[in-house]
Amino acid sequence: MHNHLVREETRTQVALIIESGEPREVMHFALLIGYGASAINPYLAVETIEDMVKRSQLPPEVTFETGLCHYKKSINKGLLKTFSKMGVSTLQSYRGAQLFEAIGLNRQLVDKYFTGTVSRVEGVGLEVLAIEAILKHQHAFFPKTEFETELAVGGNYHFRAGGEYHLFNPLTIAKLQHAVRSGNPQTFKEYTDLIDGQHRQLATLRGLLELRKSDSPVPLDQVEPAAEIVKRFATGAMSFGSISREAHETLAIAMNRIGGKSNTGEGGEDPARFKPDSNGDLRRSAVKQVASARFGVTTDYLVNADDLQIKMAQGAKPGEGGQLPGHKVDETIARIRHSIPGVGLISPPPHHDIYSIEDLAQLIYDLKNVNPKARISVKLVAEVGVGTVAAGVSKAHADVVLISGDSGGTGASPLSSIKHAGIPWELGLAETQQVLVMNDLRGRVRVQTDGKLQTGRDVVIAGLLGAEEFGFATAPLISMGCVMMRKCHLNTCPVGIATQDPVLRAKFQGTPQHVINFFFFIAEQVRTYMSQMGFRSFDELVGRVDMLNVRNAVDHWKAKGIDLSAILYKPQVPGRIARHCVQPQDHGLEQALDYTLIDQAREALENGTSVRLNMPIRNVHRTVGAMLSGEIARRYGPSGLPDDTIRMKFQGSAGQSLGAFLANGVTIELEGDANDYVGKGLSGGRIIVYPPRTSTFRPELNVLIGNVVLYGATSGEAYFNGMAGERFAVRNSGATAVVEGLGDHGCEYMTRGLVVVLGKVGRNFAAGMNGGIAYVLDERGDFAEKRCNKDSVDLGPVTDETDAEVLHAVIARHAEATHSPQAKWILENWEQVLPKFVKVFPKEYKRVLAAAHKAEIPRVEMLHQPAAVPLAAV
Amino acid sequence: MGEVKGFLEFTREVPERRPAADRIADWNEFSLPFPEEKVRKQGARCMDCGVPFCHSGCPLNNLIPDWNDLVYRNRWKDAVRQLHATNNFPEFTGRVCPAPCEASCVLGINDLPVTIKQIERMIIDRAFAEGWIKPEMPGVHTGKRIAVVGSGPSGLAAAQQLARAGHRVTVLEKNDRIGGLLRYGIPNFKMEKHLIDRRVEQMRLEGVEFTVNMHVGGSLSAEDLRKEYDAVLLTIGAEQPRDLPVPGRQLKGIHFAMEFLPQQNRRCEGDAPLDHSEILATGKRVVIIGGGDTGADCLGTCHRQRAASVTQFELMPRPPETRSPDTPWPLWPLQLRTESSHEEGGSREWSVATAKFTGDSKGRVTSLHTVRVGPPPRFEPVPGSESTIEADLVLLAMGFLGPVRKGLVEQLNLELDQRGNVTTDGNYMTSVPSVFAAGDARRGQSLVVWAIAEGRKAARGIDIFLMGKSSLP
Repeated sequence: MHNHLVREETRTQVALIIESGEPREVMHFALLIGYGASAINPYLAVETIEDMVKRSQLPPEVTFETGLCHYKKSINKGLLKTFSKMGVSTLQSYRGAQLFEAIGLNRQLVDKYFTGTVSRVEGVGLEVLAIEAILKHQHAFFPKTEFETELAVGGNYHFRAGGEYHLFNPLTIAKLQHAVRSGNPQTFKEYTDLIDGQHRQLATLRGLLELRKSDSPVPLDQVEPAAEIVKRFATGAMSFGSISREAHETLAIAMNRIGGKSNTGEGGEDPARFKPDSNGDLRRSAVKQVASARFGVTTDYLVNADDLQIKMAQGAKPGEGGQLPGHKVDETIARIRHSIPGVGLISPPPHHDIYSIEDLAQLIYDLKNVNPKARISVKLVAEVGVGTVAAGVSKAHADVVLISGDSGGTGASPLSSIKHAGIPWELGLAETQQVLVMNDLRGRVRVQTDGKLQTGRDVVIAGLLGAEEFGFATAPLISMGCVMMRKCHLNTCPVGIATQDPVLRAKFQGTPQHVINFFFFIAEQVRTYMSQMGFRSFDELVGRVDMLNVRNAVDHWKAKGIDLSAILYKPQVPGRIARHCVQPQDHGLEQALDYTLIDQAREALENGTSVRLNMPIRNVHRTVGAMLSGEIARRYGPSGLPDDTIRMKFQGSAGQSLGAFLANGVTIELEGDANDYVGKGLSGGRIIVYPPRTSTFRPELNVLIGNVVLYGATSGEAYFNGMAGERFAVRNSGATAVVEGLGDHGCEYMTRGLVVVLGKVGRNFAAGMNGGIAYVLDERGDFAEKRCNKDSVDLGPVTDETDAEVLHAVIARHAEATHSPQAKWILENWEQVLPKFVKVFPKEYKRVLAAAHKAEIPRVEMLHQPAAVPLAAV
Repeated sequence: MGEVKGFLEFTREVPERRPAADRIADWNEFSLPFPEEKVRKQGARCMDCGVPFCHSGCPLNNLIPDWNDLVYRNRWKDAVRQLHATNNFPEFTGRVCPAPCEASCVLGINDLPVTIKQIERMIIDRAFAEGWIKPEMPGVHTGKRIAVVGSGPSGLAAAQQLARAGHRVTVLEKNDRIGGLLRYGIPNFKMEKHLIDRRVEQMRLEGVEFTVNMHVGGSLSAEDLRKEYDAVLLTIGAEQPRDLPVPGRQLKGIHFAMEFLPQQNRRCEGDAPLDHSEILATGKRVVIIGGGDTGADCLGTCHRQRAASVTQFELMPRPPETRSPDTPWPLWPLQLRTESSHEEGGSREWSVATAKFTGDSKGRVTSLHTVRVGPPPRFEPVPGSESTIEADLVLLAMGFLGPVRKGLVEQLNLELDQRGNVTTDGNYMTSVPSVFAAGDARRGQSLVVWAIAEGRKAARGIDIFLMGKSSLP
């Protein structure tokens, strides 16, 4: 109707109201609204609630009205979440926006009813949908006895025999565990036979494909050895926090033993793991993830990596950040994430320093500076258009692009993200390969894929579609004992994997050998296929879609119309165009100012001698101080050099990312101004910026530094004698900063640290802030009403004596460092000005402090005492 | 899942058994009642697994997490509905099933599993007590006539399913009472027989006809049966016992378990033994050969008959106390099982083979001559381990070799598999059109829960055969 009215050009004259028994889940509502519904009456869902109340199936306090109210609220919240995942703010913008991709609907149907929607593999038409509807109707209206009232078991979210088919089911989980524990390849083959037999269940797109055999197979002993193939394998990004220390370290040890790569996830990593154990095992994760929350992303963390992975999105729940409920945040996790025990952690959906492909290029450059030895990888989710994004990422000089599919990693996903979010990697990977090859970009980037890879056959198919490397998460977890409880968010994992409860962690039975067995079994299967297909090395296989056929014998009534030619398309390009990675990216690092800095600071780096530098700076100098900081972290670990060992004074306009990831012991002093991202990821260093001494304007009324300053800072100090742009100190988790005014969204998602603002702030200050403290000088008196987002914070005057002392000390230090006239004025009129400061105190933080106080636990370290070292004369 | 951390808060608790001395004084069931509050806590231990292995471990795919939760929430009536959705006779399995579900319970990986069987039993016992169990009349009548031969759990399950699908079902039983092995194999102390009667009553009201003392293949020929009915289902069990062909086997006092056990069940009903002379353990030195469930049933029966002594021999080596590494979770574990009968007395020996029996001048058995043997598959005799044990009664409980060939199977000329069981197609139809088979006759000796599962699937097969499609699960 919607599309018909659009075609008739009368759509805007009416509103469409849906009355239907079918809508019941968030997705159903989102779909209807996305295709034009203005209102929905889900009468069957409503009547079901009424019936449940009548039958006393709900708690006694829940009446029909309250039950319905809860239902509406949950649908509304789910919709809000869905909109936000798609970057849409209002229902009105979502309505009719058709932000969907269809999988398995034929062109005729889509063109008529879902006009404009992408549907790449064709599939069923209206007749099949009709048959399905009739089947359901018959089940409801023609029961075999009058007592037959049971609904079908379903099993969509939890496995049920006779319900929805799941690739990981009791049989396959048990077989996999028996195989890796016994080390018996025969048992593993039984497991993969069960999974690969999936074409009967039509569980995946790859189930519809068939591997072609070569006329000239290669003897197995001439195929690349398994020990080489396993180096292409990585484990999934699961944070320490989401999974237990035992599980996280077991994965790391296993991958380090075989030369594969484990992934930190976005929870930081304990520096104790960066050094090998006495038995030679290394518990360090080779891939360090840099996600939107930047939890624990310190300079030391970054230099201890082989790969730095920028997580743009997660295949299993695209558009969403991770969430760690407060009960999983214990002392250790809080320490590593630079947050507060007991306070829940939310990763913001976007990276606040990435709003364009240029921003991404800058972050890639920043990370490459900190750790020039690491590959920079960018994680994208499979979706229509991912190929174009991947091309941009490749041009932004990523070394690796990861295409993440939809079907893995759903243990802790919100229910509304388990289904209908993301698409299979087969589609995303094929598109990526095609676009990269057509634009001659494939040769300079490696492609990785993940999302429910389970068998050697899966790996080979992914390779043929264009992947060089492969990520696995669920299968290695199962190898370590995971039984897919789907209770990861509850901290009650009974096998000690997705829990931080010490009692449950003690039940963890996994060993590195189990994981190693899994990967070698996979590699051996890959070799067998390679031999049959005539490939000696894996690189020969990459991108050879011509070795895939569509399986002929698909005889399911719903699979008849599937057309996989979009996946199997091989771009016709000249032979010189590479189909796999053949050359490294040119990161342009040689122009970095840091080579000069490192050279001149050699005394400090080698002997810890104090070094003073003084030089002009220009805006072509990007990411100044990061490579130097990387060097310090590499040599001296997280504690860096003693405070102020290296002091660099610059004059001029600094480029982007001045002092990014600046390490302990380094002070940057800038007379002039700076671009975006000053002090991004600050890791213990100190940054002082003030306008030219010769300037005549009032600094507190003029912009000194750009946007996204101190994003993801973990420790250190920063003093800015002037105003900052937007998104100041977002995700600050430990730095102390003074600034004289700022734009919108200041201190968003902050979890620790101290921010003092001596001037006006923009809108939406402190949104999602749940730790740390901010003090804002509210001269105009409109902060509480107009400027602050009070959802997660309480506001009040500075009454506590200690608070006032700390505030005074910090401002004094700012005055000392920058000669700020504003600071000078405040200190001189302290008694009059102090009442105008507003203390921004996160509610969660307050709750935890109060609980700690009640339990007589020593007060959590709450405020950053300014360093004792006096600032040198400025 | 009511209690997120229920499995951490509550420990496994099953009903206590009556003291051994008390319970061997009568033939009543050995479990003591279990309070409702306790069983609800046990329900709260269920973790509502994302992948519930229990319900795959269960041959019936019982919706275990669902009804565990309903019990926890005090919604017993909903619980019994869900229980019946997959299991026709939870009152039988709740008593005699060895509970493969519990062996595959996720909690059992590193803790004690949920008391699934006890919860099942309490749901159905309560449902009967509350009067919730009523006949479920079919919505349609097809006019098709089906004969079910054999009234064990498989036959009964099939009959109930078929009747509810609208067919006219007649159950033919060769014995004098309905129930098959439930009636005459399982001793009363494990399952009291009035449970069968009340279920049969429900089925009668649902339209199932029962004919006892009707030996198909004997007094009624198989071919006549086939002519008379649209479909015939053979649920005739696997009654051919495995024998021990060693010297002295012909001596008096050596009997198959299934000669001994039914007599006691008849006695409990107040009947005299039927066609053979009375076998009683009272005052005798008894040796049971075979260490399985049937052997344990003989053992408990002997205790109650006040045997002078009972010794149980098993050919296989003694299994480990806990799950053997060869049968990792969630597989059915190889491990030492101590049943109620073992608690009551008697001694058990493993790795024992009987070489011969010797007897007295009257041809009565007096001794078994045994030898220790090594592990399977060779069972190598251990030199010098020969031994002799005196016995007045020897019971052979060594398993079964498929359905009895003589009679029905031979008359219909049914195709059998290598193990002597009736072969069928995917719809449970035998090599003879319109004749179906299910349960032990098809599968070989197995559990009651498997019998019910087979009966249900065969019912679906028959329904499809007769109607072209089926809404039976």
